[in-house]
Amino acid sequence: MEDRLLKTLRRLNHAIALLTGALLLSCAGVVLADIVLRQVGSSLGGTDEISGYVMAIATSWGMAFTLLELGHVRIDILRGRVGQLGRALFDLSSMLVLTGTVTLIAYKCWPVVARSIDNGSRANTPLETPLALVQIPWFAGWIWFAVVAWLTCIAAALLVVKGRFETSEAVIGCFGDDTGAGT
Amino acid sequence: MILAIATGLLGLLAMSIPVGIVLFLLGFGVDQFFSAFPLLRGLGNLVWSTSNNATLIAIPFFVLLGEILVRSGVATRTYSALDRWVSWLPGGLVHANVATATMFSATSGSSVATAATVATVAMPQAEKLGYDPRLFSGAIAAGGTLGIMIPPSINLIVYGFLTQTSIPQLFLAGLIPGLALALGFMAITAAICMVRPELGGTRRTFPLAQMLRALLELVPIILLFTVIIGTIYRGWATPTEAAAVGVAGAMIIAAIFGGVSVRMFADSILGTVKITSMIMLVVIGASFLNFTLASAGLGTELQTLLDGMGLSPMGLILVVVLIYVVLGFFIETLSLMVVTIPIIVPLVVTQGFDPIWFGILMIVLIEMALITPPVGLNLYVVQGARKSGKMGEVMVGAIPYVVAMLIMVGLLIAFPSIALYLPSVLSGL
Repeated sequence: MEDRLLKTLRRLNHAIALLTGALLLSCAGVVLADIVLRQVGSSLGGTDEISGYVMAIATSWGMAFTLLELGHVRIDILRGRVGQLGRALFDLSSMLVLTGTVTLIAYKCWPVVARSIDNGSRANTPLETPLALVQIPWFAGWIWFAVVAWLTCIAAALLVVKGRFETSEAVIGCFGDDTGAGT
Repeated sequence: MILAIATGLLGLLAMSIPVGIVLFLLGFGVDQFFSAFPLLRGLGNLVWSTSNNATLIAIPFFVLLGEILVRSGVATRTYSALDRWVSWLPGGLVHANVATATMFSATSGSSVATAATVATVAMPQAEKLGYDPRLFSGAIAAGGTLGIMIPPSINLIVYGFLTQTSIPQLFLAGLIPGLALALGFMAITAAICMVRPELGGTRRTFPLAQMLRALLELVPIILLFTVIIGTIYRGWATPTEAAAVGVAGAMIIAAIFGGVSVRMFADSILGTVKITSMIMLVVIGASFLNFTLASAGLGTELQTLLDGMGLSPMGLILVVVLIYVVLGFFIETLSLMVVTIPIIVPLVVTQGFDPIWFGILMIVLIEMALITPPVGLNLYVVQGARKSGKMGEVMVGAIPYVVAMLIMVGLLIAFPSIALYLPSVLSGL
C-alpha cells in the first residue's frame, strides 16, 4: 500500500513540477516581451507584479516535489554517524517536525486569503489584481505541501515499522540521486 | 536570548531537521518565550509577502539558465576550448578547471551547479593525462565556488534582498574580487606545480590554428555574459529581467549547438523547480525568523553585548570572520548566509562598514565554507563526479585554494576598494 501511495505522490508531483516550470517559463516570456516593448516606447505594464505572483505560486507548489526529491537541505553531522535504524529514526522524526510545521504554516496562511475574499481586496497597483485570485492558488500550494508531507510521513512510518530501511531512506533520507542542487 | 537561539539553532540542525524548518521553529520559539506580542499571527502575511516578490524570481531564472547550459553540452565544449589555451602552464589542465569554472560563474548564479558542471566534463581527463587526483579535484571544488562571487549570483541576490542593498551594485562589487580569486587560484596551482612538477600532469601546447578555432567555442558564453550584464548596466533591464534574457540566450545557444531535446528540457525544468523551492523554504523561514527577532528586540540586546565586550570596529570584523570560518565547517552555505545576515549585518553596518563591501567579504567566507569539511557541498559534488578514490583526496586538494581565499579576505579588509571601486565609479545605477 505504501509503495503505491508513494508512487502516486511522485507521479502527481512530477506533473505539478512540470506545470510549475511551464508557469515560470511563460513568466520569463512576458518579462522578455516587456523589455522589448519598452525599447520601442511601449510597455505591458505590471510585469513586476505578475512576476511576484508567479514566484509565490511556483514556490508553494514546488515545495512538495522538492520534499519527495529530498531537495530540502538537511545537515547530517550526527545522522551520518549512526546505523541504519538510527538513521531511519532521525529521518522519521525530522519528517514529523517538518509535517507539523508545514501544517501550521498552511493553517496560518488561510486568514490572509480569507481577508482578501471578505474585503474583495485588490492590489494597490495599476493592474488592480483581485488578491484572492492569486492568493487562492498560492494557498492551495501550501495545503498540497502539507497533505503530501502527511501522506509521505505515514508511508515512511509504515516502511520503518516493516523494517524496510533502505526503501525508507530513499523516501525520506538525506540526499537525492541528483547532486545538481543548491548554490 | 542570543544564547538560547544559538543553542536551539545548532541543536535542531544537528537533529537533521531541514534547515528552512529549523528557522521557522526558532521563530516560533522567539514568539513563545521572548516576545510581548503574539507574532504568530503575522506568519501567513509574512509567507505571502516574502514569496510574492518580483526580485526573487531571478533565482529560478538563473538556475534554469545554468541547467540548460550544463545539460545541452555547452559546458563540455567550453572546457576543451579553454584546455587549448591554458594547458601550457605548469599544472596544465588544472588551469582549465579553474578557467572553465570562472567562465561558468559568469553565467551561472550557483556554485554547486558550477562545480558539478566542471567536474562532469573534467574528471574523465584527469586519469588519462596523469594528474594528481588531489590537486585536480581540489581545483574544481574551489573554482566552482566562484559561481556565487562573479555575477550573476543567487547568493548576492538573496543578500541584497535581505539587507535592502542594491543588487546591481553588489554584482559590480563582486566582479574584481571574483576575477582576482580566479587568478589567485591559477597562481597557486602554477606555484605548486613548479615546486612539485609530478603533480601537474603533462603540459601540452597546441598549434595556433587550433587555439584560434577554440576561441570560437567560447563566443557563446562570453556573449551570454555580456548580454546579461549589459542589459542590467545599460538600464534596459533589472537584474531580475536580465535573468529572463539569460534564459532565452541559453536556449538559443543550446539550440544552435544542437543539445536540445524534450528530455533535456524537462530535466532542466524539474531541476529548477526543485532548487528554487529548496532555496525559498530557507529564505521564507529566515525572513520569519528575522521578523520575530527584530520584534523581540535582538538589535538592542546585541548592541549591549557588544558594548560590553569593548570591541573596536576592526575587532568586530575579525570576530565575524572567525565566526564564519568556524560555522562554515559545519553549516551549508546558503543557510549559513541566511541565518547570520539578520544578526550580523546590522551590527557591522552600525559600526560604519559598507553593506556592499561586507556582502562581498561574506561571499568569500561563504565560498570557503563550500570547500571546508565536514560540510562542504562542493567537495561532495566533486567526489560524486569522481566515482573512485577517497573523499579525503578532494579535501586535501582544496587546502591551497582555501589559503588563497584567506589571503583574499585579508586583502578585502585591508583594501575595501577592491570591492567598492567598480560600484563607486559606475554608481548612479
